[in-house]
Amino acid sequence: MAASQQSAATPGSALAQPVSKTAAPSGAARADAPHMALRAVRFAYQRPGDPPKVVLADADMAVPRGAFILLTGPSGAGKSTLLRLFCRLEEADAGAVLLSGQPVDELSPAVLRRRVSYLQQTPTVVPGSVRENLLLPFAFKSASGQPRPADAELSARLARLAAGDIPLSQEASTLSVGQRQRLCLARALLTRPEVLLLDEPVSALDAESARAVLDAAESFCLDDGGTVVLVSHAEFTPARVSPVQYALSGGVLTWMQASST
Amino acid sequence: MDAGVIDIAPWRLLLALVFTLVAGGCSLALKLGLGRDILIGTVRTFAQLFLMGWVLGIVFAVDSPWLVMGLFLIMAAAAAQTARGRVKESAVAFAWPMYLGMTSVYLLVTTMVTGAIVHVQPWWKPQYFLPIGGMVLGNSMNSVAVALDRLFADMRARAAMVEMKLCLGADAAEASDDIVRTAVRAGMIPSINSMMAVGLVSLPGMMTGQILGGSDPTQAIHYQIVVMLMIVGATALGSTILTLIIRRRCFGPGDRPLLR
Repeated sequence: MAASQQSAATPGSALAQPVSKTAAPSGAARADAPHMALRAVRFAYQRPGDPPKVVLADADMAVPRGAFILLTGPSGAGKSTLLRLFCRLEEADAGAVLLSGQPVDELSPAVLRRRVSYLQQTPTVVPGSVRENLLLPFAFKSASGQPRPADAELSARLARLAAGDIPLSQEASTLSVGQRQRLCLARALLTRPEVLLLDEPVSALDAESARAVLDAAESFCLDDGGTVVLVSHAEFTPARVSPVQYALSGGVLTWMQASST
Repeated sequence: MDAGVIDIAPWRLLLALVFTLVAGGCSLALKLGLGRDILIGTVRTFAQLFLMGWVLGIVFAVDSPWLVMGLFLIMAAAAAQTARGRVKESAVAFAWPMYLGMTSVYLLVTTMVTGAIVHVQPWWKPQYFLPIGGMVLGNSMNSVAVALDRLFADMRARAAMVEMKLCLGADAAEASDDIVRTAVRAGMIPSINSMMAVGLVSLPGMMTGQILGGSDPTQAIHYQIVVMLMIVGATALGSTILTLIIRRRCFGPGDRPLLR
C-alpha cells in the first residue's frame, strides 16, 4: 500500500482519497464507483541489461467524478506513465486501472480514449488547416454517429481558449507552440471527453497561452463536470478549482492534501 | 541463331575471377575495407550457384511436384531471411509473418504466371516454375525489405503523431494509415521505375538468357514483358500484405504503440 495519507483533508474538500484494496470488479460500469481508480497497480520500465525501474509500486488512487487532481513529483518519477495507464498507452504489470469501476482493458481502446482524453506535452498537429485539425477526431470510426461540428462551433471552442483570432483556414504548422497547444486542447474538448489528462501542458508555453490552457481545464472541471488530472512540474496556481494533490516519487504515490484556494 | 549457347570451359570461368580481382584492387587502393566481403561473396557465388545447378539437375530429372514445391519453400525461406537481415528493428517480432506472407504471395504469383499466362503443362514444371519463382522472390524481397524498413523507421520517427491520433479515438489502423501508405509506396517504386527503363537502359536477365540460348528476340521479349509485369504485381502484393500484417505487430494489446 503505497498511497499513504500525509495530512488529513479538510472536510468538504476531500475529493480524492486512497481506497482499500479489493478485488477489481469486472463487467459493466458501477454508478457508485470512483470515476477513475488504480488498485494495487505496479509498473516498471524494463530496459535490456538494466534492472527494472519501478515507477509505481502497488499504487492505489481513487478519483471522484468532477475532481481536479494535481500530480507532482521529480522528473522521471513516472507521472506521465500514470496518466498513460489511464488511457492504456501503457499497460500495468499488475493491479487494475478502472474507469467508472470497469477495468480499462474491457473497453474498446478507441472508445476508452475518447472518454479519457490525453493531451500530449508537445502539441502535435497534422499537416493541413486549423479546421482540418479540429475535425480530425471526427474522421475516425469511433466517432460514427457523432455530429461533425460546424465552423461556428469550432471558432467558439477556439475563442474559449483565447484563440478566437486564429482563422480556421490557417495552416496549423504555422502556429506558435502556444497556439498549437490551445488548438490541441480545443480539438480534445470537441470530442466531449469525461476525463482530461494533461501532461505538463504549459511547460513550453508563454504566460498568456498557459493561462488560457489552465483556465480551460478548470472550466472543463467546474462548468462541464469533467474530471481533470494535471501533471505539472512547475508551480500551478489555480484560479477557481481546489485541486487535490498527489505526489509521485521513488515508485510511491502519496496523497498530499486537498488544497484550497 | 540455332547454334545454341556456347559452353564456358572451367578454366575460362576462372578467368572471370579477374573481375573480382579488379574489385579487390579498388578496395585495397582506396582502403575501402571491402576485401573480405568481396572474397566471401565470390566464394558464395561459386558455391551457391554450383549447388543450385546440381540441385536443379536432380529436380528436373525427378520431375516431382513435391520436390519442386520443397525447393521453392527453401528459396522463399532464404529470401525472407535475406530481407529480414536488411531490416534493422529488434523490438517487433516479424520473422514468421514475413516468411509465411512472402511464401504464400509469391507462390500465388508464380503459379498464376506458369499456369495461366505461360500455360505450362503441368503448371509446376520445374524448368519454368523454379526460374520464374526465383525471379519473383529475388526482385520482391528487396521491396519487402524497403517497405518494412520504412514502416519501422516512420513508426518511431512519427510516434507522437500516431499517439496523438490514438488519443483522439483512432484505432491502430487509422493512427498509422499514412505511415503504411508511405512504406508500401517506397517498396513499390523501384519496380515501377524499372518498367520505365527496361529495354532502353537494360536488357534484363530472362530475355538475355533466352537470346544467349538461341531464342528469337521477339519471343524473348514476350517472356520479359510477363516477367516485368509479374514483378510489379508481386512487389505490390508482397509489400502491401506484409506491411499490413506487420503494422499490426507494431501495436500491443489495447492498440498501444510499441515503437517510440
